[in-house]
Amino acid sequence: MTLQAPGFWPPTGPEIVFLLLGVVALGSALLVVTTRQLVHAALWLVVCFGALAGGYLVLTAEFVAWVQVLIYVGAVVVLLLFGIMLTRAPIGRSADLDSGNRWAAALVALATAAVLVTVVVSGFRTAYAPLDPGQGAAKPLGSSIFRTWVLPFEALSVLLLAALVGAIVLSRTDIQGRK
Amino acid sequence: MNGTIQAPTIEYALLAPMLVVFGAAIVGVLVEAFAPRYLRSAIHVPLTLLSLAGAFALTIWQAAAKGIPTKAAAMGAVAVDGPALFIWGTILVLAFVSVLLIKGEDHFVAAASAVPGSAEEEQALHEGAAHSEIYPLVLFAVGGMLLFPAANDLLVAFVALEVMSLPLYLLCGLARRRRLLSQEAAVKYFLLGAFSSAFFLYGTALLYGYAGSIDLAKISTAVGSVGGQDTLLYIGAAMLGVGLLFKIGAAPFQAWKPDVYQGAPTPITALMASGTLVAAFGALVRVFWVGLGGLDWDWRPVLYGVAILTMVVGAVLAITQTDIKRMLAYSSIAHGGFLLVGVIATGKAAAQNASALSGILFYLVAYGFTTVGAFAVVTMVRDAGGEAWHLSRWAGLGKRSPLLAGIFAFFLLAFAGIPLTSGFFGKYAVFQAAVSGGALPLVIVGVVASAVAAFFYVRVIVLMFFSDPAADGPSIVLPSRGTAAVVGLAVLATVVLGVYPQPVLDLAHSAAQSLFVR
Repeated sequence: MTLQAPGFWPPTGPEIVFLLLGVVALGSALLVVTTRQLVHAALWLVVCFGALAGGYLVLTAEFVAWVQVLIYVGAVVVLLLFGIMLTRAPIGRSADLDSGNRWAAALVALATAAVLVTVVVSGFRTAYAPLDPGQGAAKPLGSSIFRTWVLPFEALSVLLLAALVGAIVLSRTDIQGRK
Repeated sequence: MNGTIQAPTIEYALLAPMLVVFGAAIVGVLVEAFAPRYLRSAIHVPLTLLSLAGAFALTIWQAAAKGIPTKAAAMGAVAVDGPALFIWGTILVLAFVSVLLIKGEDHFVAAASAVPGSAEEEQALHEGAAHSEIYPLVLFAVGGMLLFPAANDLLVAFVALEVMSLPLYLLCGLARRRRLLSQEAAVKYFLLGAFSSAFFLYGTALLYGYAGSIDLAKISTAVGSVGGQDTLLYIGAAMLGVGLLFKIGAAPFQAWKPDVYQGAPTPITALMASGTLVAAFGALVRVFWVGLGGLDWDWRPVLYGVAILTMVVGAVLAITQTDIKRMLAYSSIAHGGFLLVGVIATGKAAAQNASALSGILFYLVAYGFTTVGAFAVVTMVRDAGGEAWHLSRWAGLGKRSPLLAGIFAFFLLAFAGIPLTSGFFGKYAVFQAAVSGGALPLVIVGVVASAVAAFFYVRVIVLMFFSDPAADGPSIVLPSRGTAAVVGLAVLATVVLGVYPQPVLDLAHSAAQSLFVR
């Protein structure tokens, strides 16, 4: 991180794209919490996650970007929509989506954001990492997962198994007696 | 070929205890899937006990025959060093004992998905349904407990933390009686635990930003060499500390402990109070001493305050409790504070660190056995609706069942740290290290807190022996062989460690001698 950082002006193409994506992500995140329609909130979440994925792409983390698209844009949002659909939540405009605590929540969110931004800015103000294409491709990530991180990776699969067993224990209703 | 990935080097022999436990858990899941229902418990119990005993034997074999490794295993992910082996042995024995308790009586719910008080629940009870998935879940949790204190980088520590906690969240909600309380405990533990895990993860991310690595040794090097990014380091270390202190239940992160200990099935409470505490302390000491060792001038005052607060909160709030399990939970908080005294007692010299570490290790063994024994006694004092949880129900127990009351009184005296019990030598070892490390004021607070704590332990003893039993007092169930063995073993450990602690002290000392590998 001691490389000489080029100046911020004039901004390069990737920098402009990154900033625009950041604006899109921030704006859509605000819309997620302010919209009065549950389904719209889920759809704005797609935009927000998509913009984040774009940001990863600009930073040459292509594998992470596609995982973001697959897991968050694909699976998580679909799960949310299914949740809305199956629980018969109100689909149209509903007035009770606003909580009475919203000012307190906004305050906490702002304070958290302020702390995080301060920390990251003061930590990385002068840091500069050059973007080499291919750094974040599947191959380097795969080789580090299956070499350096192979043990935690396997432990994670154990964690998933335990979670599955637990979900079955808590939810199955057709467990019969010992007979 | 260009695209091949070099195979990682995994020291299977070193990791064998952990792998045996995880393997047995997975076999347990298969048993759950394929064995007929009436056979499952008959397969699970020996499988679980044998795997824990086997893992313990492998740990001993590793330490005795092959020596203590000096290098981290599995591509630097896991450090199987002296303290880790000692902690593994402790956790495995305590888990074995807890499993004996689990199999003892019917502590667990018949059908977890049934609404408490509903007809479905009645029916499940009537049919004698049972969740035999408990055994694999316990093994998963124990596997996580083994990985957590041996984790040599923060990512492994986080994964281990989750593997350890997730099954415990579930198991907390499976108590047979007082279902609503149990479910409340599980949800509370889950939400607060997830929150603290998030803190841990964020701290890891910030430390990665600071050091460029999540390896504890590399973070330690970076603390001395990287300048100008102190905000990242401090906030990262603080968040990591929050995550770890939550797991040991140190004040001000102790709020979950009484609720969870009260609501969880008592054998699971015993497992959490012993195994989880041991594992979390192992990890805490490793992270703070190895990873953030160069930062000790900054974290020591904070932990100093946390230790004082924890001892005082644990000891004072315990006085006001009327539920026996809540009282033991507050006592566990206070003991966490005493152990933190040992964490602070570091110094420049390696000998000082080794003596502090060996004090902590001995304390963990002593406290672990006593607490499992105490919870085992709690399972045996029954009312019509289950365990007699209210302290007033324990009045006059000494006249109805002198032996049991005597044993419980003995455990309470060990908690208080009376000489000739294991608790005394545990406290002595930790406080002595703290005094020689220059933390005398902290030791004074510790001794005062012990005196306050002794007050409520003695209060229970007085209640048991010097008040008249109620006419409809609780009955003492005849313990199953498992429960009797647990109580017997705990009494034995408490006596032996209190009268002749030298062998275990020596063992702890030689485990601590090499300190942590880096």
